[in-house]
Amino acid sequence: MRTEQIRNFSIIAHIDHGKSTLADQILLKTGAITQREFRSQVLDDMDLERERGITIKARAVAISFNLDGNEYELNLIDTPGHVDFNYEVSRSLAACEGALLLVDSTQGVQAQTVANAYLAMEGDLTMIPVLNKIDMPASRVETVREEVSNTFGFTEDEILSASGKTGDGVDQILRAIIEKIPSPPGNPDGQLRALIFDSHVDEYRGVIIYFRIFDGTIRNNDRIKMLRSGRMYETLEIGQFRPTRKSCGELSAGQVGYLISNIKELKDVHIGDTITLAADPAQEPLPGYKEPKPMVYCGIFPTDNAEFENLRQALEKLSLNDSSFTYEPDSNEGLGFGFLCGFLGLLHMEIIGQRLEREQDVDIVQTAPSVKYEVVLQNRETITINSPDKVPDPSTIDFWREPIAKVSFIIPTESIGGVMKLCQDRRGTYIRTEYLSKDRTILVYEMPLAEVIIDVYDKLKSLTRGYGTMDFEIIGYREGDLVKLDVLVAGDKVDALSTIAPREFAMTRGRKLVAKLKKEISRHMFPVALQAAIGGKIVARETIPAMRKNVTAKCYGGDITRKRKLLEKQKEGKKRMKQFGQVEIPQKAFLAILSVDEE
Amino acid sequence: MTQRSDATGFVTDESDSVPSAPFFWARPRAAYIHIPFCAHKCGYCDFASVAGQDDAIDRFLSALDREMASQLTPGTVVDTIFVGGGTPTYVSAKQLDRYLDRLNHWFQVSPDVEFTVESNPNTLTAEKVAILANHGVNRVSLGAQSFRPHLLKQLERNHDPASVGRAIDLLRKRFDNISIDLIFGIPGQTQKEWEEDLETSLSLEPNHISAYGLTYEKGTPLWKQRKLGIVEPIDENIEATMYEHLMDRLNLNGWEQYEISNFARGRKKCRHNLYYWANAPYYGFGTGAAAFQNNRRTLNLRPLITYMERVESGESPICQSEVLESESRARETAILNLRRTEGISRVNFIETTGHRIDDLAGDPIRQFVEHGLLIDDGETICFSRAGFLLADGILARIV
Ligand SMILES: Nc1nc2c(ncn2[C@@H]2O[C@H](COP(=O)(O)OP(=O)(O)OP(=O)(O)O)[C@@H](O)[C@H]2O)c(=O)[nH]1
Ligand code: SF4
Ligand SMILES: [Mg+2]
Repeated sequence: MRTEQIRNFSIIAHIDHGKSTLADQILLKTGAITQREFRSQVLDDMDLERERGITIKARAVAISFNLDGNEYELNLIDTPGHVDFNYEVSRSLAACEGALLLVDSTQGVQAQTVANAYLAMEGDLTMIPVLNKIDMPASRVETVREEVSNTFGFTEDEILSASGKTGDGVDQILRAIIEKIPSPPGNPDGQLRALIFDSHVDEYRGVIIYFRIFDGTIRNNDRIKMLRSGRMYETLEIGQFRPTRKSCGELSAGQVGYLISNIKELKDVHIGDTITLAADPAQEPLPGYKEPKPMVYCGIFPTDNAEFENLRQALEKLSLNDSSFTYEPDSNEGLGFGFLCGFLGLLHMEIIGQRLEREQDVDIVQTAPSVKYEVVLQNRETITINSPDKVPDPSTIDFWREPIAKVSFIIPTESIGGVMKLCQDRRGTYIRTEYLSKDRTILVYEMPLAEVIIDVYDKLKSLTRGYGTMDFEIIGYREGDLVKLDVLVAGDKVDALSTIAPREFAMTRGRKLVAKLKKEISRHMFPVALQAAIGGKIVARETIPAMRKNVTAKCYGGDITRKRKLLEKQKEGKKRMKQFGQVEIPQKAFLAILSVDEE
Repeated sequence: MTQRSDATGFVTDESDSVPSAPFFWARPRAAYIHIPFCAHKCGYCDFASVAGQDDAIDRFLSALDREMASQLTPGTVVDTIFVGGGTPTYVSAKQLDRYLDRLNHWFQVSPDVEFTVESNPNTLTAEKVAILANHGVNRVSLGAQSFRPHLLKQLERNHDPASVGRAIDLLRKRFDNISIDLIFGIPGQTQKEWEEDLETSLSLEPNHISAYGLTYEKGTPLWKQRKLGIVEPIDENIEATMYEHLMDRLNLNGWEQYEISNFARGRKKCRHNLYYWANAPYYGFGTGAAAFQNNRRTLNLRPLITYMERVESGESPICQSEVLESESRARETAILNLRRTEGISRVNFIETTGHRIDDLAGDPIRQFVEHGLLIDDGETICFSRAGFLLADGILARIV
């Protein structure tokens, strides 16, 4: 395949703007799949992706396409839209020369539209702007066209419009891809240099590596070498996704494909590494990627302590296909033995939690998310803390430092006041305002990350009736006046419920937290006292009154087995409940701190 | 008769409490017979009962007899016989006479035997009452449930409240041991209505009252109605108050609560039930009947036709069978014993189960005593008044 016949592109957009749906249409129009094979979001094949209707992993498909009598090979990489999975986008972009920048014409430019467009610009990619969902009655093609043009500097007639649902405009998009996106550079006869941009584990074939060749040619039974890790393997199968795996024996410069070798574990493969031939190795590796760093941490504990080993195996299994989350053994007085896990964001955290329960069938309790703090001790030593139960004795602490995020909100101009107030309440520092169009505004604040993860996103949605979006990046650490807020249940400190809070808000938060816990913890056969304390001093108290009656009396005649089994089932305890002394605390209670401001 | 007032404030007399120390491997001294036929199916009912299958009654009675023949020798000695249902008196006088004859054949019936038949008020006639008495039946348990037409309608019971009085009048002539069944916590029931139902029952001067909070059993029409929001369960607080009133009212004037839902006057406790709560063995015959023999609990299948076909072809109608290992059996004994006002006797418990109750449930017992839900005087452990209200939660920690 000559490189002039190849086009490599990604589809980037804000979450839910229709990337996967448009990818489906492109596959259909080019005959890569038939109408019969078609199902919505063909490329989203994880159960969770299909169920939630979101893309989590990037996907690559090779498509044959004929335009004006010329044969082309298009490599399409569908990407996730959610911020948490941004690193997937940047990896994919490194394998492409161009990107379709999709904007939902009913929504307009949103926070991740901007964030992803910047990623594409940084990568020097050719962008083709496309207004999507034009079939919808709520579509505002003209206004959004102006917005896209103002924000990114495209001329209005460069901007295409399409519907992923009806297929309208897809032909023009295909033509633009061929005409505007440069064919990949590179020499098929040069020394092999291929970039690994993703990998996953197949139950039967082991690790499958996704790569893009920049120079040279790779074939079946080649002896290859990873330039960074130095490891050597033999290629067993070279192929492309069409959209299912098809072996093709050989791929050369400019092409995108997969390889199977006898690699068992994902950790043996470094995303961003360069593949070369062992016999004639290239000297210079391709530029790699920054490893994504966890931003939020939470404890994951089995509800039943005997399940620790199962949980460990389950986490290990999940990490095989998602190297972006970290886990290390942890123990906690009330929750027992479990793991402290790091995630890219809250959605990522939620998804891992669900996959654990769903795919791995372990019943877990998750603690509230925390960021990574730095604590400078009196003795000048600095320690990092990513879980409230690890906070040392306050008398040994000199001061705290916490991660600060730069947050960009894109909001209807009319809700500026509300969002600014929200940011101030969340210890935000105002940076600037930009006007996107006459009724939409970009608002930029710097804010402690801990405040961002509490509930800023949910609050933003309600303040802007769903129209506001946000994006953030960590810009460093700053000193903060923080304290640990303890929670006592029936007189005993429950570390898993404790939280780190700014001193100025600690009392109010404590009060709201116990009030919220009172709603989350169900009544017991005796009254349960809930207290919040700061440094040993009680600052709030609530009591959950005792349940009055639970006797069902009926003994089912002589069918004693039935009654016994009913009681045993009751004894077994409920799912996602953890026993603390005599009190059962449900999973939801551990996350109560995230929504204390709800009422 | 020795009487003592225990820590609960309840009066218990020791002379007629538990039938002598029972061991599960002993020969059963209690027998349960199930007659599944009813005039119609009540909305809350999940018993093995059938309506509209009167044609099958005679065939069923033959099968029942055959099932008993497979296990019993004529004149088997027992202490209690309990005929339940369904509605055992719904069948014709002739059919009633027929099966009571057979029970008299298989069991040795004497005035010392407690011989109970369950009945619904509008199925009793002078003729049937005479048949019952003539066959040695000496206790009748009457399903009154409520005296309010709108609540009976809610329960989909078809009798008229006045029929309870008429039935009692008929029974009085031949029986001095009459029990009334009541239900409280019916959707729409008020506290006052419940108190009046209880007073009406008392005015009929029964010797025994069983009162149950309405339960929503999976699969019943009532359960579906609740799920669909057509029926709203009564508030937990009102139900609690109803139950408290029941306990307080029936621990006066010679009445005594001897179990969660059972109350007796003049020492007329139901001995048959006491065997259950002592975890003693018993026979069981008929559709859906449970039995406990040789450390094995069994359950007969419920569908009428299948039951009859199985028995007719000489096969066993048992569909479930369970043997517990020693500790589980001991726990089962504990949750049954504890239902009784007298609770668990430490000495008795170790004798009958071979386990110390404190080894099995020392922690929960201590905790519940601390919360005032159990009373432990060192010898026995029993529910406090507040404990009765939370019985399920307490038993669930011990099972
Ligand atoms: N009417 C209409 N609906 C569309 C169109 N494109 C996508 N949708 C719908 O919009 C929703 C989101 O579409 P996806 O294709 O999953 O969006 P995405 O950008 O891939 O989402 P993420 O991968 O989670 O970021 C789905 O319900 C689609 O059916 C369109 O052109 N017209
Ligand atoms: S009378 Fe009793 S057994 Fe018969 S249907 Fe009604 S509740 Fe069920
Ligand atoms: Mg998608």
